[in-house]
Amino acid sequence: MARLDRMPEPMRSHLANLPCPSFENRPWIQGEALSQRRVSIISTAGLHRRGDRPFEGATGDYRVIPGDIMAKDLVMTHISTNFDRTGFQQDWNVVFPLDRLRELAGEGMIGSVAAYHYSFMGAADPAAMEPAARNLAGLLKGDGVDAALLVPV
Amino acid sequence: MGALAYYLEEEGIPTTQISLIREHTEFIRPPRALWVPFELGHPLGAPENPMLQRRVLLAALGLLEAPAGPVLADFPDEVPESPPGTDQEPAVWACPVSFAPHLKEETDREKLRSAFRREVAELRPWYDLSFERSGRTTMGNFAPESASKLLDSYAFSEALERAGQNLPIAVVLRLAAHDLKAFYFEAAIARPGSTPPGSAEFNRWFWTETAAGRVLKAVQKRCMNEEDKALRMTGAMLLVPLGQA
Repeated sequence: MARLDRMPEPMRSHLANLPCPSFENRPWIQGEALSQRRVSIISTAGLHRRGDRPFEGATGDYRVIPGDIMAKDLVMTHISTNFDRTGFQQDWNVVFPLDRLRELAGEGMIGSVAAYHYSFMGAADPAAMEPAARNLAGLLKGDGVDAALLVPV
Repeated sequence: MGALAYYLEEEGIPTTQISLIREHTEFIRPPRALWVPFELGHPLGAPENPMLQRRVLLAALGLLEAPAGPVLADFPDEVPESPPGTDQEPAVWACPVSFAPHLKEETDREKLRSAFRREVAELRPWYDLSFERSGRTTMGNFAPESASKLLDSYAFSEALERAGQNLPIAVVLRLAAHDLKAFYFEAAIARPGSTPPGSAEFNRWFWTETAAGRVLKAVQKRCMNEEDKALRMTGAMLLVPLGQA
């Protein structure tokens, strides 16, 4: 379970001691009702299209995942060996809930699913991800996205 | 994760996120976060449980309608003990593929290598069945035999079978190790009627009962004796989970 106080050592200390960035201000963008929103998944699970460049290390870059991707074409090359991969191996939705998102769009619970989704490799230093993340915001706006769903692993 | 939300929101994109380590999210304070009590690797709850995944997703997306923030909400459920509609999972999962029984006596190098080759050969038909049934494999870069040959040759011989990979060797070894584990998992759950193991059961089996687990530890050992910094880091951190060494 992802509760630090119930996690065995040495994982508990490893996670507890990971440095976290601290920020001065609290950005907050208000938007439409959920039923009007266009949603893109931003994963940090090191996911990418089969055949795309594997994640080589903690460089802060991301991969583009087209919205019409199928489960068989999505692979994971996250560098860490300290989280479970068998869930993803059985059902991609446990990490990348695109089928669920498509269902919600079909029912009108959300406005639409974005044309593109993105994945970083979450073991990278947040500072290394910052330039790519700020650049990504422009791509999301270009796709009309007004809801980014960030999913860790 | 929280930092990415901060950067995107600052650039004008409304964000919501799932949080797995509540302490990290409390510190970073991203605009909107839903903490979930699930294990690492399962942010949406559990595989093959679409109702739970849907509720997690709706709870996370619902935070987009909060009037003010930062918001950190807690998902109320624990993960269910066993998938809906099935009996309780047995306490100890047993791999439905039984390997040649004398594996445990095979302590020297050549015997370990031949046990490893046998395992891969014995698992292959089950892997093929799994692939035929699901139309999907999560092996991303290697066929089963090329992953096993590469890892075997790095651990035990001078001549490395690179199999045409155009990446640094430290990266290739890591990708091959993850693909090998994916192969073992997909093969082990392929037998009809077998219940997939939880991550702890699978890890216990893979790291303590298979020749593959011992070969990966031999790969790790060689990596840690290399001069190349990337190989040493790969050996120290990226091949064998913390607590399994």
